[in-house]
Amino acid sequence: MKRAYYIFYKDFSSELRMRFALNALIMFVIVAVSTILFSLANEKVNQNVYAGMFWVVVFFSAMSGLSRTFVSEEERGTTLILSLIANPISIFIGKFLFNLVLLFFINTIIAFLYMILFQDFSIQNWDSFLLAFILGNIGIAGSSTIIAAIISKANVKGTLYPVLAFPVLLPLILMLIEITKSAMEGNPISDVEAELMVLISYDIIMITASVLVFDIIWRD
Amino acid sequence: MKTRYYIGGFIIVVFLGLLFYNFTRTNIEYESDFTQVMAKGKTCKATGVWVKEKSFQEDVQNRTFIFYLRDAKNNEMKVIYRGIKPNNFEIASNVVVTGKYENGVFHATDVLTKCPSKYEGQNINTSGS
Repeated sequence: MKRAYYIFYKDFSSELRMRFALNALIMFVIVAVSTILFSLANEKVNQNVYAGMFWVVVFFSAMSGLSRTFVSEEERGTTLILSLIANPISIFIGKFLFNLVLLFFINTIIAFLYMILFQDFSIQNWDSFLLAFILGNIGIAGSSTIIAAIISKANVKGTLYPVLAFPVLLPLILMLIEITKSAMEGNPISDVEAELMVLISYDIIMITASVLVFDIIWRD
Repeated sequence: MKTRYYIGGFIIVVFLGLLFYNFTRTNIEYESDFTQVMAKGKTCKATGVWVKEKSFQEDVQNRTFIFYLRDAKNNEMKVIYRGIKPNNFEIASNVVVTGKYENGVFHATDVLTKCPSKYEGQNINTSGS
């Protein structure tokens, strides 16, 4: 556990120094949100569209930034040293925590931008939206960490990542859109109880499966 | 080492079951009993027959369309649809409305009409050729 924290700390401080992932993410978010803003231009759109658009931006920003964690290790050739000083599980937990913090940071920015730029994106039921936001971030961080570990050894890292991540993240995104829609309509939290249960089980499955198979992926 | 895989596998199987169970619950349910629709107050698809005697009101300016539906047990329900009247509404044998029951009226977001089939059986004369 201590090792996991050290790996998290190492990634965090090197990210603060270089800002590889952070800059890419912020650029992406600004471009995507402003494109949506200009193309909609005060037009009255269905609320469902905003719910979908919000999670589309979240999904692709995760795709563009989160693969850095393992790819950068591979590029700098520090993979071997990392595997010498720590056991696989603590490496996974450290990287997962780093991705989680990064994702929370960037998604808070996206949500904030949506709320000030789009009047129609108004959440009526904060409880269910925040719950979905937290559970969704954990799910996205978990599955993107393990997929980043898988693709870091491949030659075509950029394209392989969204291709592998899309089918894994699809059920999660669908549920998140459904909950966001209901939160925007102001329905009580009991309406989306089934969706929230799906999110919780998805998170638990993803993290358990990742911890189990990370050993094998890391050694190869 | 082995036990770790067993425990992990067990957790995955249990939650996979939970996930699929809940996944099937997320679909919008069909409801043919209006008392259920009124009691639950959740988004659902209600099926019924248009009450011809009470007719319908159409407000083109505000784009609302109001009519009454009746289910198999003769329960009636007022439906408000934000939109224009579907084309073959008068001849429809069945109407499916998607929406939510609130304050005594059903607010529909979608109206589907089922047309009477062209090939519905006539009374077949069974006495031979």
